[in-house]
Amino acid sequence: MRREYTCIICPIGCDMTAEIEDNEMVSLVGNNCAKGRVYVQQELTNPIRTIATSVLVKGGELPLASVRLNKPVPKASLFKVMAEAKKVILLAPVRIGQVALQNVAGTGADLVVTKHVDAIH
Amino acid sequence: MRDNTYDILIIGGGVIGSSVARELSRYRLRIGVLEKELDVACGNSCRNTGMLHAGFTYKPGSLKAECAVEGNREFDQVAQELDIPFKRTGKVVVGFSDEDMQNILRFKRIGELNGVRGLEMIDKAKLNQIDNSAGGEFALYSRDSGILNPMLYNIALAENAHQNGVDFFFDSEVKAIKRQGEHFQVTAGDSVFSSRWIVNCAGMHCVTISEMLGLHGHQVKGFKGEYYVLDKKASQFMNIPVYPAPNAKGGFSTHATPTVDGNILVGPDSYITEDPDDFASTRDHMQGLVKDGSAIFKHMKAEYFIRNFAGTRWKRVDPETGDVLDFLIENRDDHPGVVNLIGIESPGLTCALPIARRVVAKIQEKEVLEVNNDFNPYRKGIVRFAEQSKERKKELIATDPDYGEIVCRCETVTRAEIVQAINNPLGAVTLTGIKNRTRACMGRCQGGYCETRITALIQEQCKVREHEVMYQHKGSGMFIGKVREVLDGE
Amino acid sequence: MENKDVIIIGGGPAGLAAAVQLYKLGITNILILEREKHLGGILRQCIHDGFGLQRFCESLSGPEYAQRFIDEVRELNIPYMTEVTVTEVTAGRKVTAISRRGVMEFQAKAVALTMGCRERTRGAISIPGTRPAGVYTAGVAQSYMNLANIMPGQEVVILGSGDIGLIMARRLTLEGAHVKAVFEVQPYPSGLPRNIEQCLNDYEIPLFLSHTVVDVKGHSRLEGVTVAQVDEQYRPIPGTEQEYNCDTLILSVGLIPENELSLGAGLTLDSRTKGAVVDEDYQTSCTGIFAAGNVLQVHDLVDFVSIEAERMALSIQECFLSSQFGNAEIEIVVDASISYSVPQKTTGKKDFTLSLRPKRPGRNCTVFVKQENVTIARKKFAKVLPAEMIQLAIPAERIDPEKKLEITLI
Repeated sequence: MRREYTCIICPIGCDMTAEIEDNEMVSLVGNNCAKGRVYVQQELTNPIRTIATSVLVKGGELPLASVRLNKPVPKASLFKVMAEAKKVILLAPVRIGQVALQNVAGTGADLVVTKHVDAIH
Repeated sequence: MRDNTYDILIIGGGVIGSSVARELSRYRLRIGVLEKELDVACGNSCRNTGMLHAGFTYKPGSLKAECAVEGNREFDQVAQELDIPFKRTGKVVVGFSDEDMQNILRFKRIGELNGVRGLEMIDKAKLNQIDNSAGGEFALYSRDSGILNPMLYNIALAENAHQNGVDFFFDSEVKAIKRQGEHFQVTAGDSVFSSRWIVNCAGMHCVTISEMLGLHGHQVKGFKGEYYVLDKKASQFMNIPVYPAPNAKGGFSTHATPTVDGNILVGPDSYITEDPDDFASTRDHMQGLVKDGSAIFKHMKAEYFIRNFAGTRWKRVDPETGDVLDFLIENRDDHPGVVNLIGIESPGLTCALPIARRVVAKIQEKEVLEVNNDFNPYRKGIVRFAEQSKERKKELIATDPDYGEIVCRCETVTRAEIVQAINNPLGAVTLTGIKNRTRACMGRCQGGYCETRITALIQEQCKVREHEVMYQHKGSGMFIGKVREVLDGE
Repeated sequence: MENKDVIIIGGGPAGLAAAVQLYKLGITNILILEREKHLGGILRQCIHDGFGLQRFCESLSGPEYAQRFIDEVRELNIPYMTEVTVTEVTAGRKVTAISRRGVMEFQAKAVALTMGCRERTRGAISIPGTRPAGVYTAGVAQSYMNLANIMPGQEVVILGSGDIGLIMARRLTLEGAHVKAVFEVQPYPSGLPRNIEQCLNDYEIPLFLSHTVVDVKGHSRLEGVTVAQVDEQYRPIPGTEQEYNCDTLILSVGLIPENELSLGAGLTLDSRTKGAVVDEDYQTSCTGIFAAGNVLQVHDLVDFVSIEAERMALSIQECFLSSQFGNAEIEIVVDASISYSVPQKTTGKKDFTLSLRPKRPGRNCTVFVKQENVTIARKKFAKVLPAEMIQLAIPAERIDPEKKLEITLI
């Protein structure tokens, strides 16, 4: 079976065509680099994604701090990640790189802060 | 408890209702205005060209003619009293053909009969001298025509009325009126009011109110017109309103008008509508405006388009013949205590104060009104930072640092102006109310930069939550809540 | 009046990169003027990742990408002022700015315009219908959600497949809104393919090409939109109308360089890019006034914005060193296959990078840069999309100063 993929690893977004038999990739054309092959392989076995969202900050100059997953998680668990992120409340100040939530929804990935939020004076 | 007993209740806070309120506040009376929207100037008072008409197209002897000429003559003083932007630009009505010449000359004669001053036929050379973008072989030049900001005029009248003691009730749609002896009992919004007099200034809803008052038999017909608003960049090409020659009935097809704020309006066209709240722009008419507008204004190009809007004129018509009739201001002996205004449409903006004085006169026919010696005709507008000299800007910031915080980039509107718009007497509670008072969001980015800041200021200054921030009408909540909220019990 | 070597207007990605580069090149009497409370520009609200892959070889969120430059600005002690709005730039490089502290005036040897861009609005594309609450441009909705903690709506239709619109489709979905569909008037998407994949396909949000909104309904809050298919001339096809009930319409219909200040200075603007006409030094039609980033041309990747701003900084330094502010006279023209090019003219004395955008999607195309029949540069592309900017190097030594450069994509 032939299947089309658009690589999401970088902004080039290669259009790739994979020949698939029994959920195994037999051949792949269209990828400009090796990452494309890894991506298709991953899509076949267990599609993974990273997402970004926000968490509440108490006492900050901004109401929210942006966060993102520090590594991709199975696509199926994205809404579980969101449900967990909604419960997080950080105390200002928060700094980029600070872990907002460890091992979020049991995925092994952490939610990491991506914006400095100073405390309100 | 609030005392809801009034001498006079005015239904409608448009430019007519607000003018009537202001003129009545010259007398010792308890006056209230009932407005169904959340602000004044929400109906056709904010949906028109903003022309101060000279009065050369209206039938001699008509109220329209009489009030337009009167309203035009006094407007320099009115603008000064109310501190509103106004320019006596003059206007040209251009023609190409013999037929145009006949129509134009006819209206020049009508104008002169109506008492319009400064009407002059000019040749092509003079026309080009006045505005070289105006096409045409000859023109009627009307020296006294002018342009004003209709929203600010309406707001200024209401604020002035309010500072002279008039109460304004918003979100107060009149649902029922009952006559009880010498009084009327008026149910509006969630309240009941009592008043000796009712003045119907309900604009497009005037017949509904008239029926409630028991004055039957009036009919109005809706004429809708759509507009394009053009970027200020386009105003370099036009400095005076240019109208094509009128048709034999005195109607003007699509024209272009510079606004007092520096935009260009193209429109309105004209077609029948049945729905008083029909303010939708429609694809066909927008395309028509582009086509017809290009004929009269050659810079009618997509790169200048910043917004569209539509207004409606509800003309009084003869129920038998369908003929369009004059404004009506009536106080019938069989319906004492009512001043009924029907079919107040264009040139209602120009005629607003003259109409208001005629309303006052109707009441004075029935009772002696005691002069309010405290009446102050002057109202101060919000000082517009953008229009000040550099020295004055420095002073303003020194006095109020909020003047140093530019909220709206396109129109250079500062935080101080927004805060004043919210906190002034009769202050704005909606985004549109702030726009109308300050011009924030009215530039080419249409709020892309400032809208988030203004809605934050509404929350801060009015102490309301996200879902309570209104765009314009009741129920026009801009947001559904927070993205992240502290959950209960945490 | 304070004298500065360079005044940088806007502390977003372009302004920050320019400032850091200028400083490193030894031009230190500079000042960044930023109207917001924080440096970083639009990146502050772009919390999704995918930034910095070119530059830092890792996928960062917008705020992180910005912070890398802000940290450099701080480490180098580069002067900047926030909550300052520039209200005027003159052709003579006098800069007037307003803040809560008062009115400030600067005389600059060079002005770097790095104001970024703004969004096209409903009015600009003449969408018919009523004017209820609930119609937002994608960037405004993004600002509400990611900066102000405000949720704009629940039932959402998106018009336009620009990247911000696609990103917002995912963002709204993750926060519990229901994005019913994305409609694009062009027969191809205007956002990057990866965003179609990970923002729409992942969440089963349908994308309808050659469709547009033909009516907006609702008196107070938006109640629904009517959508129709369009023909090749973008005219709605009668009979294809479909109703979508929704309380929110998000518009992602293009970005326009923010050139209000440029106009005030009397710069010549390019009607295609809507940015200034520049030479290979990024110098505008006004001597000593330069422009880079989205104020010059709308980029699809911030990495390219940074690079462009750094090239501009280098040019400013060269102009300072040589005391020569170029006077470009060689025209660069594009044919119908290309939307625009930057720069639009060159002195022919310096190698430079030419940026351009194809008008239509294509495969296995070659860009030719010719002077009459002589090809002076060419580059082959396996795939070109209007959503993706193309760049190629132009060697000065091959330029004939007597002839214009003609660019075509075949």
